[in-house]
Amino acid sequence: MSKYSFPVIVALVLGVVAYFLNWELLLSLDFSVVWEYRVVLLKGLMVTLALTACAAVAGLVCGTMLAIASQTNFAPLRWLVIAFVEIWRNTPLLVQLIWIHFALPLVTGINTTALESGVIGITLQAAAYFTEIVRAGIESVPKGQWEAAYSLALPARIRWTRVILPPAIRTMIPPLVNLTISFFKGTAILSILHVSELMTVTNRISNVTFKPVELFSAIALIYFVVGIVMSKATLRLEYVLQNRER
Amino acid sequence: MRFDWDQLIRYSPDLLQAFGVTILISALSLLIGIVIGMFACLGKLQQRGLAFRLANGFIDFFRTIPEVVLIFWVYSCLPLLLSVRISSEACGVIALSLFSAAYLAEIFRAGILAVPKGQVDAAKALAIPRYHIWKRIIIPPAIRRMMPAFINFLTELLKATSLLSAIAVGEMAYTASILGAQTLSYFEFLSAIAVLYFVLIFPFSLMARRAERKLLKKTGH
Repeated sequence: MSKYSFPVIVALVLGVVAYFLNWELLLSLDFSVVWEYRVVLLKGLMVTLALTACAAVAGLVCGTMLAIASQTNFAPLRWLVIAFVEIWRNTPLLVQLIWIHFALPLVTGINTTALESGVIGITLQAAAYFTEIVRAGIESVPKGQWEAAYSLALPARIRWTRVILPPAIRTMIPPLVNLTISFFKGTAILSILHVSELMTVTNRISNVTFKPVELFSAIALIYFVVGIVMSKATLRLEYVLQNRER
Repeated sequence: MRFDWDQLIRYSPDLLQAFGVTILISALSLLIGIVIGMFACLGKLQQRGLAFRLANGFIDFFRTIPEVVLIFWVYSCLPLLLSVRISSEACGVIALSLFSAAYLAEIFRAGILAVPKGQVDAAKALAIPRYHIWKRIIIPPAIRRMMPAFINFLTELLKATSLLSAIAVGEMAYTASILGAQTLSYFEFLSAIAVLYFVLIFPFSLMARRAERKLLKKTGH
């Protein structure tokens, strides 16, 4: 490939796209609709962020408990945790959500609202993913440190808080934050249950105003900005953690 | 409540067809994603210049926005912008291809960067032609190293196809909700597709884990 081949390819692609674009529509785009509905959109974003936080916190708590449960010697409990984790990790969130919302009430007889189903679904999935990460974090602590703690006869509390957890948490933080970002993306899936987060809100506005191009492009940008800020912050965090270790 | 097997058996051809649609859409998006992803990966490997910026922007953008938003954008905006009719299946394939291209580009890049630099330097010192360096020295170990992440991504892609039910593509999740609404046996159909998804995805998860273990043993870190 010569030095000039790349700009030529880009120019060609752009030319083809420009040829097929509907310029009339493109020039008539009116982004004021986004500003007009800013309060509603902002509320949607707040719900999205609240759902993300909920998934992260509840998932982390449940995940840590399950990870500890998976370390016990009682085999049936271990199998139960593994089965839970594998089932929730290997089926799509969307299927879990509609199963919880439409199928489960037929069995239990308890009707859940869309928001409740959504929160239950995303929390359970978060718990399954967090379990794996917490377990990997605990298991990544070198065996020698466990043995050192045992041979010094450190009490269990000191062993966990001073020896095992600090390095485990350090290795766990980057994947935990990455997972939180992917649940931020996952909350958009809750729009199939209409839980009034950003995606649902946008769909509703677009159905009223008939301006899908402006609205969907705008929220794609909103999701992108929030997501990229989170992931850049993660990179920074990872860097800081790595440097502190040395 | 009784589990209604008759309904499931009566509609099993529809479910199987939907299963096929899920696999077909994943395969198509994966293929297109691999091609676009390779270009994006090459662009990002430049480390500076126009190609790098374009590839970097592309990868960051499509990795960060939620798949649902991407699917809806392609479905409701692309036909308007290009003033053509695009079937919902084609929209689904386009959206998932872009999604996979961005993720695969990063996976490819990680694999290529994991090849020890000394080997490439040695090849260059021996004046081996660039084409042969790529074909014999960079690509084979890179593929081995990217395999776990690649298979893991495949499970993500299979899961993401369920999102296409939002734009009425006749894949498993959509078919199950339609059949559930028709026959009012939501529990049977939704449980059936949950099992089908699990049967489809779980082997890949196991494969990814095995590949990872094998790689750990081989590279020793």
